[in-house]
Amino acid sequence: MSRILVVDDESSIRLLYSHELADEGYEVFTAAGAEEAVEILRKDDFDLILLDIKLKNESGLDLLQRIVKERHNLPVILCTAFSCYKDDFSAWLADGYVVKSSDLRELKEEIRRVLDKKSPRNVLKRTM
Amino acid sequence: MEPECCWSKETVTPEECPYIFPDETDLYASLERRLPAMCLECPRFQGDLERLGEGGRPEAAVIRILAGEYLRQKSRADTMVGFLDSREIEIQFIHEIGALLQSSLMELDEVLSVALTAITAGKGFGMNRAFLLLVNKERSHMKGYLGVGPRNYQEAWEIWEEIGRSDFSLREMAKQFHETKLSAEKNKFHDILERLSVPLSDQGSILNRALRERRPILVGGDLNENAIDLELARILEVDTFLILPLLARNRRVGVILADNFITRKPITPHDIRAMESLTFPVAFAIERASLYERLHEDLRQLTVANTRLHEQQELIIRMEKLALLGRVTSSIAHSIRNPLMIIGGFARSLLKDIAEDDPKKESLETIVLEARLLEDALTEALESAESTTPKMDKCNINELLGYVFHEVTSGHGRDGISFVLDTAPELPMIRMDYRQMAYCLKKILLNSLDAMSPPGELAVRTILRPDGILVEITDTVSRPARKDGETSPVPGMGGAGDIYDLELSFCRVILENYCKSFTVDGYDGKGTRYEILLPLKKEDEGDEQDSGR
Repeated sequence: MSRILVVDDESSIRLLYSHELADEGYEVFTAAGAEEAVEILRKDDFDLILLDIKLKNESGLDLLQRIVKERHNLPVILCTAFSCYKDDFSAWLADGYVVKSSDLRELKEEIRRVLDKKSPRNVLKRTM
Repeated sequence: MEPECCWSKETVTPEECPYIFPDETDLYASLERRLPAMCLECPRFQGDLERLGEGGRPEAAVIRILAGEYLRQKSRADTMVGFLDSREIEIQFIHEIGALLQSSLMELDEVLSVALTAITAGKGFGMNRAFLLLVNKERSHMKGYLGVGPRNYQEAWEIWEEIGRSDFSLREMAKQFHETKLSAEKNKFHDILERLSVPLSDQGSILNRALRERRPILVGGDLNENAIDLELARILEVDTFLILPLLARNRRVGVILADNFITRKPITPHDIRAMESLTFPVAFAIERASLYERLHEDLRQLTVANTRLHEQQELIIRMEKLALLGRVTSSIAHSIRNPLMIIGGFARSLLKDIAEDDPKKESLETIVLEARLLEDALTEALESAESTTPKMDKCNINELLGYVFHEVTSGHGRDGISFVLDTAPELPMIRMDYRQMAYCLKKILLNSLDAMSPPGELAVRTILRPDGILVEITDTVSRPARKDGETSPVPGMGGAGDIYDLELSFCRVILENYCKSFTVDGYDGKGTRYEILLPLKKEDEGDEQDSGR
C-alpha cells in the first residue's frame, strides 16, 4: 500500500483528500504546514507527497526545494488553485502539477502515473 | 552804355529775361537771387561785361574772374550735394535692410529673400543676379542654396518692367518674393546652384579666400589668372562677378555672388563698399535664422519626446491598473476556488456511496454540477486575469477572425441565424496579443450568439482605414433598455463601473488597453454594433520582439 503525505493548510481539503485517496487504497497522512511536514518526513517514509503551493505564511515551492535536496527519490505532486505556477521554474522540480478541482479524477490519475512510473525528476518538464 | 542784359534792374519781365523757367517766377522780382542764379551764366551779361571792358572799365575783368570762380564753386557744391544725396539714400536703404532683418524672428528663406532682393532690386544695389552659397550643417562644404535674377534678356525685360510698374518698398518686394517666387527661383537656377559647391577645406578656392580674408573680392577681366575663377566664371557665364563673404563673428556662414549678367555694367568700388556693408546684418540674420530653425527643431523633438513620455506614463499607469486588476481577480478566484473545490469534492464523495433511490441524490448532483460550472468560470477568469498584460506579436487579423468565427459558428449552429464574415483583402499585419484578441472576439461573438433569437444575423467585417483596421461586429439582438448611467446596451461593456458581466468587462478593459478605439452602440434599433479600431504597425517599430505568428 502506497503511503501519501498531503500538505495543505486547508483542513477541509486535507480531510477530502484523506477520504478520497483512502478509498483508492492509499495510506494517507496529512500536514498543515511546511514545518509539520518536515517533522513527519524525518520520522516516516512515504511514496508520494501532495503539496499545496500557497501555504499559510510559507511557500510550498520552498518546501519542494528542501524535499528535493534531502529526499531525492521522493516524488512530489503540486496541487494548487493557480495554473500560472506552471511557468515557474521552481515548480519544474515537482513530478506532477494539478490544478485543484472538485473533480478529483485528474489528481488520482496523476498519482497513479507518478507512482507507477517511479520516474526520475523532471517528468513535469517533458509533459508540460 | 545801355546794358543789354537785365542785371541792372530790380524787377524784370519774362520778355526781358527769357532764361527763367516757369517754376522760377520768383526770380523776376529779386535781383539778389536772379543775379547768381541766372545772370552770371547769361550770354547778354557776358556781352555787357565785354563791352564794359572795352569801354575802359577795369572792374569788368574783376567781375568776370569772380563770376567764373563762383560758377566753379557752385558746380562743385552741386556735385557734392548729389553725392551726399546718393549716400543718404544708400544709408537709408541699408538702414531699412538692417531694421527689416532685425525686426523679428525671420525664417531662413525670409532672410535670404530680403538679402537677395536688396542686392538685385533697382531701388537697392541694382545688380542683375545674386547667388547665395551656405555652409552646410556638417560644416564641411559651402553649397549653392538660392539664386535670384533673370536668366535671359527676355526675362530681364519682363522683371524690370513689372518692378517699374509697381511701387513696392524693399519690405514689400521681399515679402512678395518670399511668398510667390522663392521656390520657382530655386528651381530656375537649380543647374547653377548644384555646381556651386566648395569644400571649406579647399584653401585654393577664391570663395574660401574671401571668407579667410574677410573682404569682398571682385573677380573679373583676365580669367586665366586663376583656374578656380575660370570655373566659377564658366558656371555663372560672366567674366566679372563679386564675391561677398558672410561672416557672423568668426563663424563662416556663406558667400553671396553678384554679377551684371544682362547689362554687363562694370562693378565699381563704390558698389563693392555699399554691398559690403550689407553683408554684416545679412550674415547675422542668417545665423540667427539657422539657430532659430535648430531651436525649433529641438523644440519639436522635445515635444515629441514629451508626448511619448506622457504616453508611456499613461501606458504604465494602465498596465499597473491591469496588473492590480489581475492580482485582485487572482486573489478572489483563489479564495473562492478552495471552498468551491471542498463543497464540490465532498458532494462527489457523498454521491459515490448514495443509493440510487435516495431523495438527496438529485440535490447532491446539483451541487456537483453547479460547483463544476463555477470552477470553469473561475478558471476562465483566472486565465484572462493572467493575460491582461499584452504580449504583442505580428498577426493577420483576417486569419484570427476566420479562426474565431469558425469556432464560434460551427459550435453553435442554429436555424434561422445567418453568419457573415466579410474581410477586406490584403490587410497589413498588425501588432496585437493574439491570445487576448482571440479571447475578446470570441467572447463578444458568443455573447451575441447566445442572446440572439431567429431570424437574425451575426456579421463580422474588416475595413482598412487610414487610421487603422476597423473590425466591425454586428448582431440582431434586441436588448432591453438599460438603466440611466449605463452607457452601453451590452452589460459589462459600459465602462469602469459596469461589471455586470465579468468576462465582457475583461474584454472591454483589454480592448480599450491597446486598440485605438473601442465602441459599442445600438444601430438603427436592429441590434448592437461593436467597433474595434486596431492601430496599424508603425514603420519605425522594430520587429525584434515579433514572433511573426
